[in-house]
Amino acid sequence: MKLREIIETLQATIVVNSHDQEMAVELACGSDLMSDVLSRLKPDALLLTGLITPQSVYTAEMADVRVVCYVRGKKPEAETVRLAEERGLVLLSTTLPMYESCGRLYRKGLKGVSET
Amino acid sequence: MTRTLKEIVEALKLAVSTRGDLLSSRTVTGGYAGDMLSDVLAHARKGQVWVTLQTHTNIVAVASSKELCGIIVVNGRTPEAATLQKAEQEHIPILVSPLSSYDVVARLCELGVTNREGV
Amino acid sequence: MKDSNVNGTLQIARTQEMIYELRVQQAMTKQVITVEPENTMADVSRVLGENRHSGMPVMKGEEMVGIVSVEDLVRSFREGNSSQPVKQWMSKNVTTLYADEPLVHAVQKFERHGYGRFPVIDRKTKRLVGILTKVDIIRCLLQHLEIDFQDLEIRRYIPREWFSELDCDRATLSLRYHIDGANFEKAGEVSSKLKRNLQTLGLAPDVVRRIAIASFEAELNLVIFTEGGELAARVEPGRVTVTVVDNGPGIPDVELAMQPGYSTAPDWVRELGFGAGMGLPNIKNCTNELKLESKVGEGTKLQFTVFT
Ligand SMILES: Nc1ncnc2c1ncn2[C@@H]1O[C@H](COP(=O)(O)OP(=O)(O)OP(=O)(O)O)[C@@H](O)[C@H]1O
Ligand SMILES: [Mg+2]
Repeated sequence: MKLREIIETLQATIVVNSHDQEMAVELACGSDLMSDVLSRLKPDALLLTGLITPQSVYTAEMADVRVVCYVRGKKPEAETVRLAEERGLVLLSTTLPMYESCGRLYRKGLKGVSET
Repeated sequence: MTRTLKEIVEALKLAVSTRGDLLSSRTVTGGYAGDMLSDVLAHARKGQVWVTLQTHTNIVAVASSKELCGIIVVNGRTPEAATLQKAEQEHIPILVSPLSSYDVVARLCELGVTNREGV
Repeated sequence: MKDSNVNGTLQIARTQEMIYELRVQQAMTKQVITVEPENTMADVSRVLGENRHSGMPVMKGEEMVGIVSVEDLVRSFREGNSSQPVKQWMSKNVTTLYADEPLVHAVQKFERHGYGRFPVIDRKTKRLVGILTKVDIIRCLLQHLEIDFQDLEIRRYIPREWFSELDCDRATLSLRYHIDGANFEKAGEVSSKLKRNLQTLGLAPDVVRRIAIASFEAELNLVIFTEGGELAARVEPGRVTVTVVDNGPGIPDVELAMQPGYSTAPDWVRELGFGAGMGLPNIKNCTNELKLESKVGEGTKLQFTVFT
């Protein structure tokens, strides 16, 4: 799925964007606990999370994930934004809860990590 | 469309970790996904089924105080014995799926179990 | 590292200080371009430009009488003119290194003085035998690793902090970091730095990713459960080994701690995104070798290796 379609599907606002919106995202993972994310996240996946601390960005960085979307209207902390800019990540924010975000993306064809 | 927990267990092939007799009487009004107890306490609604990877006993206290209809533990994690014991006492069914949160929610949505808040 | 024990933060520091073993003469450039005191600043400008250097020693016969740098050149252009002699603009107090000094002294001097280069002299004869820049040091370390590099890449990549993290011996390169306990704001910073440095060394993306994830998990455990400690990565041909040591409280049952889902983290930690009990299992999955030793009341030593 293209980054542009993700933004449309989640009606997300762009907090940090250093990438082309045609960038492809292959998979999605939704979690608030970062070690869980790291145990299943593949490179170039989308991370959906309610965790807005710098560790959300560090987690994405470690796993070679380039797009993080904060759910339920959460806005990342200033330090989180700074780190993401420095690392060339994309940060999005959607007002939808985690549940609805997962459901919508799946309906649009974005697969989860369990299916690979 | 409202579903009972029993229908969901069957459709998603969930393992039932607590007594099974409550399942057919529990109607599911929607779903909530989250791993932070504060978040669930603040935003989950009565009657929703809660999808989480947490297995700690505190999940039962949260589900019980928010009157959630049940908990689906993801990633095939084994709920702690103390959690199951407390769940029996509080009549909170605990179900387990080998899938990730994202995939469990995806399937619940396909069954018509939604969460329309913030939409 | 063989002999370091569980409460051996200092032990790691000692055994990892292999930069002590390498001498200045192994890293320095032996062909030194020099000028004479009577040369003009225009000459200096031309020679520095031609050689893409930023400074050079001033020699009167066999004797070094000063050093002249780009900064001096700029000053002379601004305040004087380019036909004036070098001796009028050079710095006369030259800080030098001895050829047989350990490289760590050079590293310390670079940090202390902020100069771009040091002339190297022989301890007995006091004659100029070479010149040492930070690029020379990094080049030397990388050559010991037999890693190909582009001169330009290295020139671009000399942030001070990276430089100060470097240790080395003849065959390996070590990166060492301190991890603060209980400092959530910075939790992840060390692994982030490590990851970028491994990328710079040209290791395969998958290898770097696995080391990064394992290091991040170890770093977070130190932040959450301990008062802090040290993380050291040792890069050698064929493998990268990371050793993480803290001074307590220790793990009562290591086997139990390794089980997926086992966690003693309190709720506030879970509110900050950790405590799934997946950290140690993740480290195991990402690495080729893993050793976890712990003594309650003393500390924990975690060591893992990824084959490259
Ligand atoms: N360096 C350490 N010192 C003391 N105890 C530790 C240390 N590392 C791990 N532990 C103990 O081992 C347990 C399991 O660690 P692990 O990293 O697998 O999970 P966690 O840190 O609790 O959660 P997660 O890593 O998923 O965020 C911890 O809960 C803690 O009790
Ligand atoms: Mg951990």
